Amino acid sequence: MSTLRDKILATATNLFQTQGINSTGVDNIVAEAGTTKMTLYKYFRSKELLILEVLTQSQQQFQTWLNSKLDSQTQQPAEKIQRLFDCIEEWVSSPDFNGMGFIKAAAEFPSEANPVHQLSAEQSKQFRLYIRSLAAQANIKDADGLALQLSLLFEGAVQAEQMQRGSGAMQYAKKAAKILIDGSLAE
Amino acid sequence: MDDFNSAAQLAKLTQLGKTPSERLLSLFDALRDAPSSVQMATSIADNAALLAFCTKQASALGANQPRMLAEHILLIAINANLQSEQQARLDCLKHGKKAALALILAQTQNQPGRLNWLWSKPAFYGLSVGCLLAVSIGFGLDIAKHPLNISEQTEVTLSAKDASLLYAKYEQMRQGTCQYPEALQIPDQDKAVYLENVVGGKLPTNLKDLAIANRYLEKVRCNFTPMLMANSTS
Repeated sequence: MSTLRDKILATATNLFQTQGINSTGVDNIVAEAGTTKMTLYKYFRSKELLILEVLTQSQQQFQTWLNSKLDSQTQQPAEKIQRLFDCIEEWVSSPDFNGMGFIKAAAEFPSEANPVHQLSAEQSKQFRLYIRSLAAQANIKDADGLALQLSLLFEGAVQAEQMQRGSGAMQYAKKAAKILIDGSLAE
Repeated sequence: MDDFNSAAQLAKLTQLGKTPSERLLSLFDALRDAPSSVQMATSIADNAALLAFCTKQASALGANQPRMLAEHILLIAINANLQSEQQARLDCLKHGKKAALALILAQTQNQPGRLNWLWSKPAFYGLSVGCLLAVSIGFGLDIAKHPLNISEQTEVTLSAKDASLLYAKYEQMRQGTCQYPEALQIPDQDKAVYLENVVGGKLPTNLKDLAIANRYLEKVRCNFTPMLMANSTS
């Protein structure tokens, strides 16, 4: 993997997260990365492909971090789902938190026909399926329902945090998630 | 439903629920008939009147941070309604409503200041009468041992005695650390009363609701140890 490609990707990720995707032009990215448009287009044939790559990589990094965090805390499925929002709260409280890529991208590209919107929707679905798998492993009867409830709570809290850092929305989402998980485990 | 930009739509939300929590959650019911569209999402997100309405309901519930609760519930509703496929959208709204209910509980359960309304003048008067009554009938510390005597009548208004006994219970609970039953395990038809009159600590308006509230009040377990310890050292 080219280090220049990585640098462009890292620069674009940072600018998209802090300035917004539509507000960040290719000129900004190449200037910040210390390269040229020609080099950028050599690795990413269009801005859209660059956006898709940034989203894919960001989501992979988040999911890898979350998996390893949960695995390091417990191997018990019921405990894993109960600790999910502890980890998410830690992530949201981190100084590096700049929001969730797929949530921001979906808002910036509302048209369902847009490939960026489609990838965002797919990542949202994959995250819900991940929660569903945790719920199923914990022998929760309505794993689909709980996954939907928790993903809606999660996305709402992340959006609230994106609007106002330190809003405390994730703390209440964590409490609400505990109520929902405890209720599902007791069924 | 076209959008939430009219006073008529807010009036409809008010009609859909008898209590603040029902009115907050009625947003999800109202959206069942609404189109799934970015336009609808924008009409909710940019609607100051709707946010004010929800914040008012959240305040009436005794939420710790009413504005945040209102915003979070609106975000959940927007996200749930964005599903383009009809059945997926209805599922999302159903589960979004459950998530919102859990959020209401998270903001209202075990809040030390939750029963501060008791110190308003009319409530304090009722409370004082209640305490006197409680003493005169030997009201003990164990809430579960003293269920209120409820008749089969349903929509009859509360008597002064019913009200003062309930005030006494609320006051007693305020003195301890109480654990409430999980709302999700309570039948849907009782949830509103449970949230308003047990968790929210508000007086029911009729005997039917009082009977329901009393049934769940009996399941609340309170620990009064710190208070007793404080008394023993003074």
